[in-house]
Amino acid sequence: MDVFGSFALILAFVCAAYAFAGGIAAIVTRHPLLIKSTRQAGIATCCLIFLATFSLEYLFFTDNFSVAYVVSHSNRDLSTFYKVAALWSGMEGSLLFWSLLLAVYVFSVLIAYRNKNGELMPYVGMVMAGVQLFFLTLNNFVESPFKALGAPGADGIMNFVARSDGNGLNPLLQYPEMVIHPPNLYSGYTGFTIPFAFALGALLARYPGEKWIHLTRKWTMIAWMFQSAGIVLGAHWAYAVLGWGGYWGWDPVENASLLPWLTGTAFLHSVMMQEKRGMMKVWNVWLVFCTFLLCILGTFLTRSGVVSSVHAFAQSNIGPWFLGFIGFVLVVCLGAYLKNRDYLKSENQLDSVISRESSFLFNNLVLLVLCIAVLSGTLFPVFSEWFTGDRISVGAPFFNKVNISAGLLLLFMTGVGPLLAWRKTSTESMKRNFGWPLAAGLLTGAIAFGFGFRAFYSLICLILCMFVAATIVLEFYRGSKVIRARSGASFAACVIDLTMRNTRRYGGYIVHVGMVFVFIGLSGAAFNRDVQKGMQIGQSMQIGPYTLVLQGADSKPEKNYTAQRMLVEVLRDNKPMMMMFPEKRRFVTNQENGTMVAIYSTLKEDLYVVFAGEDPETNLPVIHAFLNPLVKWIWFGGVVVVFGTIVALLPNRRAVLVLAGAPQPTAHPAGHPLPSSVTLREGHD
Amino acid sequence: MTRRGPLVAIAALSALATLPVWISPAGAQQTDRAKQIGGKLVCGVGTSVCNCRQILTQCNHVGCMNSSAMLKTLDQKVAKGDSEEAILQAFILEFGREVLAEPPKSGFNMIAWLMPSFYLLGGMVLVVLVISRWRKRPAAESAGAARAASQLSPEFLERARAEAARQTED
Repeated sequence: MDVFGSFALILAFVCAAYAFAGGIAAIVTRHPLLIKSTRQAGIATCCLIFLATFSLEYLFFTDNFSVAYVVSHSNRDLSTFYKVAALWSGMEGSLLFWSLLLAVYVFSVLIAYRNKNGELMPYVGMVMAGVQLFFLTLNNFVESPFKALGAPGADGIMNFVARSDGNGLNPLLQYPEMVIHPPNLYSGYTGFTIPFAFALGALLARYPGEKWIHLTRKWTMIAWMFQSAGIVLGAHWAYAVLGWGGYWGWDPVENASLLPWLTGTAFLHSVMMQEKRGMMKVWNVWLVFCTFLLCILGTFLTRSGVVSSVHAFAQSNIGPWFLGFIGFVLVVCLGAYLKNRDYLKSENQLDSVISRESSFLFNNLVLLVLCIAVLSGTLFPVFSEWFTGDRISVGAPFFNKVNISAGLLLLFMTGVGPLLAWRKTSTESMKRNFGWPLAAGLLTGAIAFGFGFRAFYSLICLILCMFVAATIVLEFYRGSKVIRARSGASFAACVIDLTMRNTRRYGGYIVHVGMVFVFIGLSGAAFNRDVQKGMQIGQSMQIGPYTLVLQGADSKPEKNYTAQRMLVEVLRDNKPMMMMFPEKRRFVTNQENGTMVAIYSTLKEDLYVVFAGEDPETNLPVIHAFLNPLVKWIWFGGVVVVFGTIVALLPNRRAVLVLAGAPQPTAHPAGHPLPSSVTLREGHD
Repeated sequence: MTRRGPLVAIAALSALATLPVWISPAGAQQTDRAKQIGGKLVCGVGTSVCNCRQILTQCNHVGCMNSSAMLKTLDQKVAKGDSEEAILQAFILEFGREVLAEPPKSGFNMIAWLMPSFYLLGGMVLVVLVISRWRKRPAAESAGAARAASQLSPEFLERARAEAARQTED
């Protein structure tokens, strides 16, 4: 099966090379057969990548320890669940996984648009094939996952060998979320290839109007949704597995996932400027380019060893390949832009500073500032070493200081932006829209202050959260009230009806609600508390209202590891409440340790208990307990963000009715179709 | 909105942006001195055993062999009554500047601190310039650009956008 997999990968490389080179030839010659054959080569590339990935998974499931990658990342006792995850647990497999997810997107695009947008698709197919070609080059010639295990024989010649068992999977990855977090994150990274291909293709083709934006909106939102889910799941994994009591440490790998999310978020907002007003065309194209480049940069950072990280893959010499690709893409984008920049001229003027247009500009500014600040902070140790020869660390305290105020500004814009009208917002309208939310925010702040809520940033954050939440609630309330007056239906039904009439708008508001929840969760970090103590059986420790009593310890042998558990009884106000079982796991095959944190989570706070090992001097088990307020809001917010994005992806109910029954405008002859350059509606193709 | 309006708004936003310089964030909530100082250090730098770069007081990830020894040294120094500056210097002598969790606010490394404010203020200037350019742009010029780009009549584009706006109000 390893030979089959290798062969499939080689064939995929050949097909991608044909799709890329043939795509260029098809664009030049416009020969229909060539266009068709390159599209089919693109589809074949995807199918072959599916086969290669299937082969690797098959090798894992059949415990084929003659393949080096399987030996390094699996063993016989590894559960089936984690054998799936073993695919992306190392450099070679994760790059194949990148190719696989990209293939899913490319396949979907090629099938969905096989008979549409004939002028644009050869360009899009060529760009997608180019990206696939790069990753298939890595899969085949740099980091092949199908390398056979070899050992030098007596004559010094390498012989193929097979081991009886493998080294096993990294313990940190043996956690349920590691089976869903990387696929989500990678789906985000790879998904941004599609808007990139459409943007570059449209620029190269000088494809008229905003159609490319209309075509890619859904793909961008899907990629963004996966990226968001991946980030939140990654944070939850770090919280539950690493055992340091936090969820975001501004680690370079974490930062790498945030960068394209920030520019992708900026794009999802600024794209409306182009759709509605024909403005910010250059900006949008470059936002898409930058988002894609940041995805590649993130992949480079996690694999090159340029920056140190607890999450990074093993260092390898893959870095120059990524740098070369980033440089190549940048040159192509720059060249395409310089050649066709006249095609990107704005059509409209700005009528007022107080308008939706301005709010989008400021929203984009803050998102970009956050992105550049995180990027430069992440890379600063490298620059510092270059210029001064002295390596420094840029850790969480730095990122917190420089990003908190910008983050709060972004939260403020989240509340303000949607309530400003396009073109111009009157003073009356501002008073009507912002009066109550502002009052709600300030009242919340006053109450919180009265109750001793003194952490400055958290207080501001809470005020802004209430302000934003109130603006959104008011929007839903006003819209639903109008529908209720007409239909007489229940308020809940009216809210659903309102949402379904304009899913993009109200789905967006739901996403904003999710972000408010996330910010509420973040504001709790100022009040985190922790206690660490070496404890004898029967001893207790106090944290907040909870008393933790160590009642005993036991050892629980499992198939792949042995768990050493602490039996901790939790009392609240001296009344028994529950048992918690923080544990350390010793994995048999690779002799590595893993942690399982015990978490009691409520909307108010998390009681987070870690068995931190044994004190080397006293041999007593050390219990590290944290009381982390509001953390659950972050996970809940993540779910709401994903839900809101799904709502925004749904077609408008009202639009369907309008299109079905609306008479044609009388100014133009009936049946006169609008050309492909004009975007009329959302979510129907 | 008066002409001074945008300037006042930008001044307010700028003031918010410079707040980190004046106010310490969450870390200042800690009362335990060792925790506070430990929060300014990272663990396991300059050793081959652990390269996790996590904050010293938060580092207990699997396999880390350094944090407990470093924390013990820190506790001893705090118990002795050493000043924060002296404690940090002692760790710098042992591990190099890399042991500090954030770049020193001096010399070349000051750039790291100044850059975010520079980005924000530079970006704001850019946005103001863009807004003022867009506001000054004559309607004829923007319509001309649209025509050149899309080969569609302005009336036609306007009709299409009006229809799109009716159906997909954002």
